[in-house]
Amino acid sequence: MIVEILEFLFLVVTALIITYVVRHYLFTITILRNQHRKLEKPAADDNAHYEPSVSILIPARNEEQVIGRLLHRITELTYPKEKMQVIVINDGSSDNTGRIADEYAKMHNYFTIVHRKGETAGRGKASALNAGLNLAEGEIIICFDADYYPQEDILEKLTREFSDPRVGAVQGRVTVLNEPLNMVTRLVALERIGGYLIDQQARDSLGLIPQFGGTVGGLRRSLLERMGGWDESVLAEDMDLTFRVYLAGYKVRYINEAECYEEAVESWRDYRKQRYRWAKGHMQCFFKHWFQVIKSKNLNIREKIDGLLLLNIYFMPVWVLLSWIVGVPLIFSKSFQWLSLPWTVAPIAFYSSVGNFAPFFEVGIGAYLDGRSRAHRLLPLLIFTFLYNIFICTKALTSVLVCKLTGNNNNHWSKTNHTGNGNRYITNCVNSLTHGNCSDSGLESNSVCHAAVRSCVVHVHHAFACVS
Amino acid sequence: MVDVRLRTYHMVFGISAGAMASCILLLIPYLDVESSIMLVIFNFLFVSLLFPLQGTLLKKLSLLLVGNVIGWAWNSVFSAFANDASGYFGENFEATYMIVNPFLNLVWIVSFWSLSLATMSMPRKGGAFET
Repeated sequence: MIVEILEFLFLVVTALIITYVVRHYLFTITILRNQHRKLEKPAADDNAHYEPSVSILIPARNEEQVIGRLLHRITELTYPKEKMQVIVINDGSSDNTGRIADEYAKMHNYFTIVHRKGETAGRGKASALNAGLNLAEGEIIICFDADYYPQEDILEKLTREFSDPRVGAVQGRVTVLNEPLNMVTRLVALERIGGYLIDQQARDSLGLIPQFGGTVGGLRRSLLERMGGWDESVLAEDMDLTFRVYLAGYKVRYINEAECYEEAVESWRDYRKQRYRWAKGHMQCFFKHWFQVIKSKNLNIREKIDGLLLLNIYFMPVWVLLSWIVGVPLIFSKSFQWLSLPWTVAPIAFYSSVGNFAPFFEVGIGAYLDGRSRAHRLLPLLIFTFLYNIFICTKALTSVLVCKLTGNNNNHWSKTNHTGNGNRYITNCVNSLTHGNCSDSGLESNSVCHAAVRSCVVHVHHAFACVS
Repeated sequence: MVDVRLRTYHMVFGISAGAMASCILLLIPYLDVESSIMLVIFNFLFVSLLFPLQGTLLKKLSLLLVGNVIGWAWNSVFSAFANDASGYFGENFEATYMIVNPFLNLVWIVSFWSLSLATMSMPRKGGAFET
């Protein structure tokens, strides 16, 4: 009986893993194919002049190292200022975040600062965003985390998709700003490339479910208010919102050209804290939405399948661990009821080879399309983040299950620390390009430096003159 | 259209070369079945993900050939080691090797592929100020 249960478990987990393998390859091949089409025929931009009013929400808690950089950048955006409202939610900061934001509010009348103190403060990002939503007047709500640094024309790129009434939310691309800092930031940058350039873009072009990432993205205010704002009871409020948008009959669009730089976590400890929060949040969303996704009439079959796979994504490292735990004793015991030895070994060989390669190839092709020749050499090291994620996700699942069993919804929001180390790469980049030499910028070759300048640098005219 | 036609032509050549290499590997009696299968998987992945990229056909075919040689050498060494060790440690080692073998291959396949990608990397357009 035990062997039969183990075999059944093994078959289910193997099927799941193989499904993800196929998905990874499908996404990679789709992007490669699309890239060739784009080269042959660039997409026409029919909605270039659609400019709705926007409210930018910036939740910030102890972000004095980075908030000034973002707020300054907001003032440089090319979107018409009369259509912009900026709401900074100072969520009980004990540093100078509030004071810096107040300074900007004095200089620019489209800035509003919300100071949250006492019991209302520090209850997580969703809570802070809801406080900002109460004051928002724009048709579209755009969210930025305090450590982000957007392109000058990012609002134009994000908002034009809303000319389609079926679009409920949009998501832009996140790129790591402090990538050259250390091994953690370099590996996070690779993960981001795979996640956005391949995963998100492929889901968008295949008509599946691109994920609203909670930052560098926008939502229709009317829809958001109808849905009751952000759900404060889940840790992954962005993932939750993605599914609520789809269940309400709207779509999420991913715009790869709308780039924004972020300051990635700089230590393994911060990496673990951040991924643990994401994993736990996604698992909460799975339990909240899986049944609604199956029975929803607003989702087609492809969206349902992709939706379930997306909800399950942080369970995958746990399933891989389970497959090892179950598969190995099955092989050693050799007491198969339903399966013969080759049929047990073959799936293990398949998913531990092709399955393990799939994410590597996805990230590799993403890095190639991004023109990142040096980054490729770090690909084999992603095996460490994969193994680390097995540990993190297993811990998160244990926590979610304990919370479910005890009824104690312990949603402590562990905030990611931002050091402001990203500032120097922007400054270096400007200086280097102004002096005609990208190699001093600290960023990988000319390509990244150029990309940074193209996306964000303040003195773009100097840079342009320098490289042209 | 020239670009797309060229890549299709590369893919056709790549698939043919990969299939030929796979057949040869499967017919070599010296290599065990698991290792041969890993090399067939490598050929399939390498052709499907590298041949559609920019670069000359000669470069891609050379990389495919080098990959097969490295893979063959790698698997030959480990197969020989596994054969000797299973004689010493018994059947349990064989089972362990079956499980570990794909991970051992992961080391060279991912490394070789990532280096190949680095050599194939798209040259940045001068100035790179596409808007």
